[in-house]
Amino acid sequence: MTHFDLTEDQQDCLQEIINVAMGQASDQLARYLDTFVYLKVPSIEQVSSKHISDALNVEDQAAAVVSQGFFGYEGIRGEALLVYQPKDSDRLADLLGYDPDELTLEEQIIDLSSILTTTFLNVFASQINNQMSYSAPRFLPSNKSAFSEHIEQQSFNWDLALKVKISYQVTDYSFNCDMILLIPESAIINIAQVIDRILEEY
Amino acid sequence: MSLSVLICDDSNLARKQVLRSLPETLSANAQIATNGVEALKILRSNNIDVLFLDLTMPEIDGVGVLQGIQKMGVTPIVFVISADIQPEMQSKVLELGAKAFIRKPVKSEVLLQHLKENGLV
Repeated sequence: MTHFDLTEDQQDCLQEIINVAMGQASDQLARYLDTFVYLKVPSIEQVSSKHISDALNVEDQAAAVVSQGFFGYEGIRGEALLVYQPKDSDRLADLLGYDPDELTLEEQIIDLSSILTTTFLNVFASQINNQMSYSAPRFLPSNKSAFSEHIEQQSFNWDLALKVKISYQVTDYSFNCDMILLIPESAIINIAQVIDRILEEY
Repeated sequence: MSLSVLICDDSNLARKQVLRSLPETLSANAQIATNGVEALKILRSNNIDVLFLDLTMPEIDGVGVLQGIQKMGVTPIVFVISADIQPEMQSKVLELGAKAFIRKPVKSEVLLQHLKENGLV
């Protein structure tokens, strides 16, 4: 297995870029739900493709997962996963004002996920002088084999992914979701080069 | 008279971004804190005139620092510099005594404008 080990400075810079993106995504979430979102320091770690299911906690309990591909310039691409635990899906229904005559809960979770993903990645991309386009978001069946199949069907090969764990905590509802970015190693190496250019300015 | 400055942010890059945006009169004697606990410690034992404060931090966050400042009864001029741009958060920090909310990533000209408005440059 190869590694895209980032130096301490690169990690710090990436963390700050993610902070800014997370802040704007949370702002959108807060406006969409008309509530306040409490932010914590995001965690960033590498996960291997072998352990991705474990890292997402999808083995025992069914979790709702929404997946959306993103594509930028210079080979920057990947898949963004938003992972909801079942208990949070119920809370989400309360939060979104679930109405059976209008959108289904599934459609509402897809909408919400897409807002978070595209806001986060647009802000992320602009900070590394890139621009993203997106595939349509998909709601994945909530069982492990379907999830594994989806991961294997990705059009890019990857051994390692960046796991950005962002807990969007909505006040009064204790709703959390994790954002996981699957970014192939070649794209990470490219991001690291852009980060080095940013670091050189300071 | 030179002003004593404290920059509190858990990110090294973010601290450098602030530091580089400051005129030399302010940056020369700037102290650094990497979380809210460190910031409160420095605020307690030093006479800090100007504080540049991040919000989302480990240990004690920026809101905790603003509350600590009120309890201590010290009166630094506080500029919050944060990525948490929710309107509710912006009004919260202003209520807690911050002079201004500046969004990240910080731009030199925006920071300078706030310093001018408060007669610091």
